[in-house]
Amino acid sequence: MKKKLNRYILLCIFLISIGVNAQETKPLIQSKLEGTVVDAVTKEPVIGASINIKGTTHGVVTDFDGKFYFQTGQKFPYTLIVSYLGYKKTEVVVNKNAVVIDLTQEQNALSEVVVTALGITKEKKSLGYTTQALKGKELASTKETNFLNSLTGKLAGVRITNSQGDMGSSRIIIRGETSIAGNNQPLFVVDGVPVDNSQLNAGGATRDFRNAIADLNPQDIETLTVLKGPNAAALYGSRAAHGVVLITTKSGKGQNGLGITFNSGITVSQVTTLPDFQNSYGQGSNGKFSFVDGKGGGVNDGVDESWGPRLDGRLIPQFYSNGQAVPFVAHPNNVKDFFNTGLTYDNSISVAKSDEKSDFRVGVNNQKQLGTVPNSEINKTNFTINTNYQISKSIKVGVTGNYIVTDAPQLPGGPSGGRAAGVMLQFLWFGRQVDINELDKDWTRNWNNSYYSNPYWNAYYNTTSQQRNRLIGDIHLEAKLFDGLDFKFRTGVDYYNDRRKYTIKYGTNGTPFGSYAEDAYTVNEQNTEGLFHYNKNLSEDFTLDALAGFNIRNHSDANNYQKAPRLAVPDLYTLTNSRDPLTSSNTLSRLRVYSAYASAQLGFRNYAFLNLTARNDWSSTLPSSNRSYFYPSINGSLVLTDALNIKSNTLDFLKLRGGWSEVGNDADPYQLSTVYNFQTAFDGNPIQTSSQKKLNQDLKPETTRSTEVGIESSFWKNRLHFDVAYYNTNSFDQILEIKTTASSGYNSQLINAGKINNQGIEVQLDGNPIQLENFKWNVGVNYSKNTSKVEILDYDKKIQNYTIGSSGGVDVLASVGQAYGALYGTAYERDANGNIVVGANGLPKADPTKKVLGHYTPDYLAGVTNTFTYKNLELSVLVDASVGGELFSGTNRTGNYTGVLAQTLPGRGAENGGLSYYYPGNNTSNPKTLVTGGAAPGGVAVYDDGMIFGGVFADGTPNNKVISAQEYYKASYNISEAYIYSSTYVKLREVRLTYNVDKKLAKKLGLQGASITAAGRNLLFIYKDVPNIDPETAFNTGNAQGLESLALPTTRNFSLNVNLKF
Amino acid sequence: MLKKLLYTTLIALTLSSCNDTLDDINANPNATETPLAPYLLTGTLKQGADLYWGDGNNFNSSLLFVQHWAKIQYTEPDRYDVSNTSFTSLWNTGYATLITDLNTIIKFPDAQANSNYKGIALTLRSWTFLLLTDAYGSIPYKEAGLKVTPAYNTQKEVYTGLLDDLKQAQSLLNTANGAVTGDLVYKGEISKWKKLVNSLRLRIALRISDREPALAKQAAIDATSDAGGLISSNADTFKFTYISSPQQNPASAWFETRDDFRISKTLVDKLYELSDPRLPVYAQLPSDASVGKYVGGANGLSNSDANSQGFAKTSKPGTYFLTSASPAVIASYSETLFNLAEAVARGYISGDAEQYYKNAITASFNQFGITDATAISNYLNQATVKYDATNYAKSIGTQKWIAFYGQGLDAFTEWRRLDYPVLKAGPATVLDGKIPSRFFYPGTEQSLNGDSYQAAVAGQGKDLLTTKLWFDVK
Repeated sequence: MKKKLNRYILLCIFLISIGVNAQETKPLIQSKLEGTVVDAVTKEPVIGASINIKGTTHGVVTDFDGKFYFQTGQKFPYTLIVSYLGYKKTEVVVNKNAVVIDLTQEQNALSEVVVTALGITKEKKSLGYTTQALKGKELASTKETNFLNSLTGKLAGVRITNSQGDMGSSRIIIRGETSIAGNNQPLFVVDGVPVDNSQLNAGGATRDFRNAIADLNPQDIETLTVLKGPNAAALYGSRAAHGVVLITTKSGKGQNGLGITFNSGITVSQVTTLPDFQNSYGQGSNGKFSFVDGKGGGVNDGVDESWGPRLDGRLIPQFYSNGQAVPFVAHPNNVKDFFNTGLTYDNSISVAKSDEKSDFRVGVNNQKQLGTVPNSEINKTNFTINTNYQISKSIKVGVTGNYIVTDAPQLPGGPSGGRAAGVMLQFLWFGRQVDINELDKDWTRNWNNSYYSNPYWNAYYNTTSQQRNRLIGDIHLEAKLFDGLDFKFRTGVDYYNDRRKYTIKYGTNGTPFGSYAEDAYTVNEQNTEGLFHYNKNLSEDFTLDALAGFNIRNHSDANNYQKAPRLAVPDLYTLTNSRDPLTSSNTLSRLRVYSAYASAQLGFRNYAFLNLTARNDWSSTLPSSNRSYFYPSINGSLVLTDALNIKSNTLDFLKLRGGWSEVGNDADPYQLSTVYNFQTAFDGNPIQTSSQKKLNQDLKPETTRSTEVGIESSFWKNRLHFDVAYYNTNSFDQILEIKTTASSGYNSQLINAGKINNQGIEVQLDGNPIQLENFKWNVGVNYSKNTSKVEILDYDKKIQNYTIGSSGGVDVLASVGQAYGALYGTAYERDANGNIVVGANGLPKADPTKKVLGHYTPDYLAGVTNTFTYKNLELSVLVDASVGGELFSGTNRTGNYTGVLAQTLPGRGAENGGLSYYYPGNNTSNPKTLVTGGAAPGGVAVYDDGMIFGGVFADGTPNNKVISAQEYYKASYNISEAYIYSSTYVKLREVRLTYNVDKKLAKKLGLQGASITAAGRNLLFIYKDVPNIDPETAFNTGNAQGLESLALPTTRNFSLNVNLKF
Repeated sequence: MLKKLLYTTLIALTLSSCNDTLDDINANPNATETPLAPYLLTGTLKQGADLYWGDGNNFNSSLLFVQHWAKIQYTEPDRYDVSNTSFTSLWNTGYATLITDLNTIIKFPDAQANSNYKGIALTLRSWTFLLLTDAYGSIPYKEAGLKVTPAYNTQKEVYTGLLDDLKQAQSLLNTANGAVTGDLVYKGEISKWKKLVNSLRLRIALRISDREPALAKQAAIDATSDAGGLISSNADTFKFTYISSPQQNPASAWFETRDDFRISKTLVDKLYELSDPRLPVYAQLPSDASVGKYVGGANGLSNSDANSQGFAKTSKPGTYFLTSASPAVIASYSETLFNLAEAVARGYISGDAEQYYKNAITASFNQFGITDATAISNYLNQATVKYDATNYAKSIGTQKWIAFYGQGLDAFTEWRRLDYPVLKAGPATVLDGKIPSRFFYPGTEQSLNGDSYQAAVAGQGKDLLTTKLWFDVK
């Protein structure tokens, strides 16, 4: 290992010395020329334009004033070739007089400039892969508090699963899940600094903590570029397999004089997709209910189900009536009324300025979100600075900084909040007659004392707070070593503390003594990189754009957790106020990766390009023998319209591209040696126990290989632009902590063999059907289809399934031969004809063999954005769809069991089609007997909620056994198949109306610019299959999706945003 | 100048990062790679007791099946309306925690664990395998812990293997073989471990008695003639005594926050019928003082029927079982005496079956703090209690069932084997009038060890609650 490191250092020194030596070369002095390059329209200087003397290799680049200077042996007059990305290449004949050269911007796809890996801008036509970018205003003006949500439907091949509720996490997947077990979230890079997007303690907590990237303020984002998969992102190495999201923040560049921008927005949120509740029957069981103490003292008053009496106004004692019989009536909005209208205030101010030597932008943003769940609140303040200073002709230094303070006094209780905090858990058991206003009047009042506390009590007393202080920033330096060769150096950090405090109040049902816990995280991600970038016209035909660099990555995260499981006295939330010894744990995790990389782009006549990259990593997480791993990539593009010199009124542009790439990936820290854990000592005796996880001393790096081809073309003078990509990605030697049968000695073992294939196509269409002076109509369409297949899990092929996650008896599996994310659970027992088999009791049976019941991964995604521009008014409408895939719905499962859902009405009472039956002799131990052909025997009570489960007896005869509706709707609780639904949806995702104040009017008002945007998000479902929930609800950013488990309702948001620039 | 500064910085940064080697960085700071025998022993005893006495395998399953307890709320497990996710803890903790940690002790070099540690570990491992096979049937035994997808062994293979294992454990245990610490149960008294080993051998001998009588007889003779002796007083009883929260008795912890169990009506009625003085120990009076007598909850009712029995009008299990320091009894003196009675009755060993039977009941009384000799003899002399030599299974089965109160897994096994007392499934149960005869295998076996699972099920019968196991002839 040492040897390799030394070699690596030598390489760095060698690269540096090239720089030093190269610096010595100077042209022979004979003639001098000064000049300036400006934009033909704005007359602004063009910075960084390259100027070459035709017929020679001598070239220079313009400085911050657009100025350049030649000292050369060339005799006047000679010809200059002036080029700059996004501008038409221009040739100018010069003599000794100073010149001003106008450059004209190119207005078509030919010249589009995009940000590529390591922040290097390139002409899009030179790339052998796709990238897609969004402008900051598209993200900022919609006012999503988790800005990832606002990417939904706008990018081909990017799957966003929006937050449940209004304060949660959002999951982003690019081109399918390429890692069977690991993190599939892309790498986020902000201004060259890799930024953490973890969701710490995602599964273990009672709350849906927002993933860390949501800390960014969309107001600060200039552009967001998605590098889809390894082909585009190979230079980022290990973490590029899942794609990269490059974010460039706003800077002071291009700001004439001082610019001050105010932005103010307000968002109103309402809950949508609340379950559809029934309002015919109240709390209780078998039609009976009467409240005494709410825990079994009355008639069924400990029962938290709604199989009670009809809600017909009959008089029954209830929880608030002190034993008085009061009307038993429905409260149809008793769940809806609990939720508030959410409000988010978002205010920011930024100041920017630039001059010949420097530019800066500083900004502050404050966001206050009051959630839809009472008492939930998040406050976030971002302070940003972005500044550059030209120290000398050739050296520029700069700093970026983003300091973020998040303070959430209470986050809404998510699905795993349990009885003390789970919001929807209680509401799916909530008696339909419960008057929520009576609960609000006195939070010590309670409708059920067997299981719950008053929901307001939970929301206001059983809190989880989160405070995060975060610094993202870098210092960077750029040096022009000589014409064409630059050196860039950057050291960046993303450091944060995240502290959570959990309080459960004394007297909470299920936690009678209350509890208090503190959970603290410290995350530190540091990257230092140096990069030589060389740009050269090799000859008239050939250009070279090459780079070589290194990166040192250090990452650490630490956690400290302490809990007082039972408080000594109420309402004092300290760790010492405890009846019991504290439970505590702490972990520290560190890793380091050294990398060296290089890339080269060779261009031919500006229509054919070959791109090569190579990278080698040395990771601390792998055993020393496998620590170093190398991976290359190659791609190319050919602009056929230029190569074949096609001049057509129909076809403007046609480009073919293709490439192959490989990236390696390391493991998590500490995956090599099996360990033993300590548990809380028993009466002075330490306890040690197996970690139940067998690790692997021979881990190899994971490898992902991807092939991508594509066509891009535009027609009718850019009225229609079309891009289609096909990719095929194989990820193998995957490091999997595979669940094993406990009888193997371990609940999981680390293996290094998994292989998964993903292939898909992506289509982007952009059309301008109407393009008048005052009115424009633009249609943007994106479509993507990804198909995955789990090929193998272990080389011995003993293991068929990898368990990604489980909930409610359903496993999410990576199952050999299947698409990723198979939902695996209990099915109905069926006969040879597919009929459900019922037992002698008339209830369906579960097949003892579990089955694959669906897959959570969708078949395809699509988004259509229509943008209409009339003068200064812009209206855009986004509809997006996710088609195919299944989910398991815990809400429907629970709600059927408890009888609160409207879908449990059929059969409940004669008016709902219920059958009449009686118990012979009025003895309920006797079997239920259908009343057929007339009346029941005299004197017996007749019930009218009879149902017959559709199925056959074991002997094949049709089921004719009558059961009560209550039995009917509970019968399938343990049969997962009954609650599998298609997750297909089509949503009217976003409508946005922007008015840009006329420049002249703005000037009169003393403004540089102004705009007002009104936007609506998640407006309505155009189609969905699953009842009672939003099929798109992520509780975390992990891979165990497709399991809906009493998720918070999603919200519909309306926002108004005003932007003023002075 | 600036350039020089830059290069110096760059080189310095590159070099400084070599101070920690990458290997150092990847040394796990959170856990140890070195296990210690006493700490593992303490852990397995505690976790074994939790497993045996906790909700998953005891009071939310087997204790309901044998009608010691009943559910008054959320009655699904009491109605056998459960799935193959219901019985995973016995399997997962049994194998991945207990057997794995015990194997670690067994495999230690002598310097790390003397042979007494290994003898104790082998004994506890045998006990764990016994629980597993009694509950599920065929289980991975020979290949357990050795393969990623271990094959299952039949019950016959497991039981006979365990007899050999226990024989070996007995030979490893010797007071001269060194001290043992971390032993929370017997405090390092090796002689008591030797007694436990023989009592477990006797227990297994009777397990196989209906299938392999010759083998059973030899095992019973071996167990009872071993110099180490059997459990011979309540002081020898193998039990784990809890302390205070958070390490309180699991049933006690459950009742701190929930109130969904009652003592079963079946048991209360039986105890009333026999005028059994253990009733006030086994049950509490209903909280509604007007009831004034012990009232059990009926098993296998629908939620509402269960509920309408009244939380305040039914008896909770006795406080003896619900205090934070209540013990988890795992192998009692009384059980050993019942086993001796049966071994005599079956003609395996010589002795007085009736006397063993009476002693067993007496030992049970003593175990629950009833020492009044008159009360005991009055009880023993009742016709309904008297030993019936013509139907020893009925006498022993019924009394063993009462004595096993709280030990759901063993009560369930012995009830299946002896077929007494005759229990009737509750009205709302879902197995067409039957009571479960086993646990489901964890559903995850189908996905994680599918081929072995399929082979086992093919040999044993469908993976259903009602499939009879090999030892359970009738």
